[in-house]
Amino acid sequence: MKNETAWRGFREGVWCDGINVSNFIKLNYTQYNGDSSFLAGPTERTNKEMKRVKELLIAENEKGGVLDVDTSKVLTILSHEPGYVVDKDTDIIVGLQTDAPLKRGVSPFAGFRNAVQACNAYGYEMSEKIKNEFTYRTTHNTGVFRAYNDTMKKARHAGILTGLPDAYARGRIIGDYRRIALYGMDYLIEQKKYDKAKLGEKDVLDEETIRLLEDLAKQLEFMAQLKTLALSYGYDISKPASNAREAIQWLYFGYLGAVKEQNGAANSIGRIAEFLDVYIERDLKEGVLTESQAQELIDDLVIKLRLVRHLRTPEYNDLFAGDPVWVTLSLSGVSGEGKHMVSKTSYRVLQTLYNLGSSAEPNITVLWSEHLPQPFKDFCAKVSIDTDSIQYENDDVMRRMYGDDYSIACCVSAMKTGKQMQFFGARCNLAKVLLMALNGGKDEKEGVQIAPEGPVFDEDVLDYEKVVDAYKVYLKWMAKLYVNTMNIIHYMHDKYAYERLMMSLHDTDVERLMAFGVSGFSVAVDSLSAIKYAKVKPIKDERGVITEFDVKGDFPKYGNDDDRVDLIGKELVEYFYKELCKTPCYRGARHTLSILTITSNVMYGRKAGEPFAPGANPMHGRDCEGALASLNSVAKLNYACCQDGISNTFSITPEALGRDDANRVDNLVTMLDGYFQQDAHHLNVNVLNREKLIAAMNDPTLYPSLTIRVSGYAVNFNKLTRDKQEEVVARTFHQRM
Amino acid sequence: MNANIHSFESLAALDGEGIRFDVFFTGCPLRCVYCHNPDAWFRSKTDMSAEDVFRKAKRFKPYFKNGGGVTFSGGEPLLNAAFINELAPMLRAEGIGYCLDTSGSVPLTDAVKTAIDGAEMVILDIKFCDPDSYKKYTGGNFDYFMAVGRYCTQKNKRLWLRTVIVPGINDTEENADRCAELVKEFKFERYELLPFHTMAFFKYENLQLPNPLADTPPMDRARLDALSARLQARLAELRP
Repeated sequence: MKNETAWRGFREGVWCDGINVSNFIKLNYTQYNGDSSFLAGPTERTNKEMKRVKELLIAENEKGGVLDVDTSKVLTILSHEPGYVVDKDTDIIVGLQTDAPLKRGVSPFAGFRNAVQACNAYGYEMSEKIKNEFTYRTTHNTGVFRAYNDTMKKARHAGILTGLPDAYARGRIIGDYRRIALYGMDYLIEQKKYDKAKLGEKDVLDEETIRLLEDLAKQLEFMAQLKTLALSYGYDISKPASNAREAIQWLYFGYLGAVKEQNGAANSIGRIAEFLDVYIERDLKEGVLTESQAQELIDDLVIKLRLVRHLRTPEYNDLFAGDPVWVTLSLSGVSGEGKHMVSKTSYRVLQTLYNLGSSAEPNITVLWSEHLPQPFKDFCAKVSIDTDSIQYENDDVMRRMYGDDYSIACCVSAMKTGKQMQFFGARCNLAKVLLMALNGGKDEKEGVQIAPEGPVFDEDVLDYEKVVDAYKVYLKWMAKLYVNTMNIIHYMHDKYAYERLMMSLHDTDVERLMAFGVSGFSVAVDSLSAIKYAKVKPIKDERGVITEFDVKGDFPKYGNDDDRVDLIGKELVEYFYKELCKTPCYRGARHTLSILTITSNVMYGRKAGEPFAPGANPMHGRDCEGALASLNSVAKLNYACCQDGISNTFSITPEALGRDDANRVDNLVTMLDGYFQQDAHHLNVNVLNREKLIAAMNDPTLYPSLTIRVSGYAVNFNKLTRDKQEEVVARTFHQRM
Repeated sequence: MNANIHSFESLAALDGEGIRFDVFFTGCPLRCVYCHNPDAWFRSKTDMSAEDVFRKAKRFKPYFKNGGGVTFSGGEPLLNAAFINELAPMLRAEGIGYCLDTSGSVPLTDAVKTAIDGAEMVILDIKFCDPDSYKKYTGGNFDYFMAVGRYCTQKNKRLWLRTVIVPGINDTEENADRCAELVKEFKFERYELLPFHTMAFFKYENLQLPNPLADTPPMDRARLDALSARLQARLAELRP
């Protein structure tokens, strides 16, 4: 299927004979080893559009976080007329979810009640039309609760399993939007039709085959709709893109269709910069594009990505603070042949944080490797210090498991682009399971028996070996319940809220990952260490349930590079992962695990209401040997059994990082290299003062676009509720006296 | 040999080149009025061998690529010169260098000389620039510190100088001039003025120690910058 016009000048390879974007990139991208001096500032047009965006954001903020909701109809690919930020002529990359910027649509497919509540929360009423349409329609949420057993409901209610995607769309699936630009929709449709025809000819059409046949039919229906969506904006995407502007536009249409169809928790855009760079380089060489215009295209794409919105309930916002969409955009990394994949467009994406100001979205993720060129490392560090808007993930570790064309979904979830998808699995609270083990299977909050009854620990001093034995029994029970719960959720999501467009941009024989998660990690680890090295006496309340402890003596705490406790944590995760793997996943998915909490939404125990440390972070204030000791502790965790990511958030004051700008950049790069060299996985970097956050808390107008990294993503600080802001302020800041 | 350790700081970016792993010893011959580590005057519960400290420091080697290493601080690190000299070969074998962050207020013994010889750099805290103030505000011996400074110069040791500026005590142009005059015989790379701050006041309260500067405000940043400029100008005049 050679395309002389669109593919002119490209180096040919196997990508010409079948879908293979990775091969195309590797044969055609231009490595860039220079520094950031080539970058262009914003154009007048960009500034004009940004002015409008800023007005819109202020208006949205003033209206309590939601500017407008269209409750008249269900949001889908073709539900709305075209919309523009400024107008048809000013926007150069076009397309909005609805007919106006920041106007949110209603998407009840994952949960009808949630959608009604979300409308009500912001003073809107869902139209009778939608209500009628959903009267006889089963949503994902309804399906799940039909199948849940009592234990699952109890575990969910008690918050042992939290944030389960059983009432909202699961997200974390990344369509390979690049395919649209490279091949055009017609070729992709042709391929899917071929797959479907071939599948239908199988000797035995078993349940999985029939399900896949129906999936493919759904995919094809939405692929056709995407073409229509593009046509409504005046573009024909049936053929491949023939220049940079078209490539960005084609790719963005794919993403736009996905976020119109689906309101999943995370809607990431994938690894697109180096792909787009091929088109930009060709246009630059042909003399039809200047650097300023190239930057303008990327700026406008990023503006559009910053405007993606979903209608959420306040409860959902409690869980995922700051109204995030996780438009995660992964950059650079290294190819399997050991060549770094930094292009000028890797720089251009980072430059948007200067041209458009700092921002939480897109969630820019640098795939770090010791092989990245020094000037690029320096520029990343500078951007981190200036904007607190980017995160780093270890390409040298992920490449071993995911090859060299994976993308990050959400915060830390890697998957091979277009070849793997993920069943998002929220998280299980390890600290609560420990407490449950001490209470013989009772939940400490409600005092209800959830797990099978076991002996309650009523010794004067807890015996470590005995506690570990009991903990293992309950972790085993938990793992099984967790996998089965997840199987129900994703069976129903596939059935009632299948991601038709996103999955159409995957290979038909896609590999599935089921991503489990743990929270309360540092609390569980420190508790075990206390039981092992100090004297811990459990204290029962009037119900006879252990809720408090009397601790005598000192004990090593996670976060100080002390093997005595760090290895307890490492083994805990390894044990839990092994137990998860014992129960098979729905649709043959492979088990993965993350240590990632978004914000600490689980609170319990001694100081009820005190937030946990996020992700794999040590508990605030317990890491007392400084930042690097803390990083070294986290680096000991084993990515091989946490292939869905190990999140770590790091905040430091500028004064503690170095004596001047150049020195800070130098030190931050050295720090990142040192951390990742130990096979650590992820780091969020904030370089700011606690005083600045407190000032912003008291007067949000002082820093309207203050962005901080929280846990695998960035938020606009002003979008956090007061208690979440206080939680962030309470977290460990590495500073110098 | 064991040393009594106050604490460690694994990310210290200001006490030498690159990223430093700071080892804070307890014990100090001085009692500076503005001390921000009064907790290091007293012995802690932590005694560690040179091997123990070495094992800890080695864990941070991945971060030492841009010239970083270990910095011995305190308290007064040179009170532990023998310990440092036992530790130094282990560090050297791993390719890890060390800095001394010292007031120089100790007699220049052979052990102290060896510790200085082995250091890649000395950060010398010039507590006060005249013997009277030195005595009055630190209780220490001005001549000891001068001897250490001269020894570093004689040995061609990389030398950074620092002085804390305290409102109402040494925040004058005359003092800046005096400092410049004092160090003209030293060979050094930089001389920084640091602002007095009140962030360590809580330590005095926790230790129930009288805080002689309890009523002193933090040093004004602009004023400090002016004094720094004055100092740098005088140094430029005095040094060839």
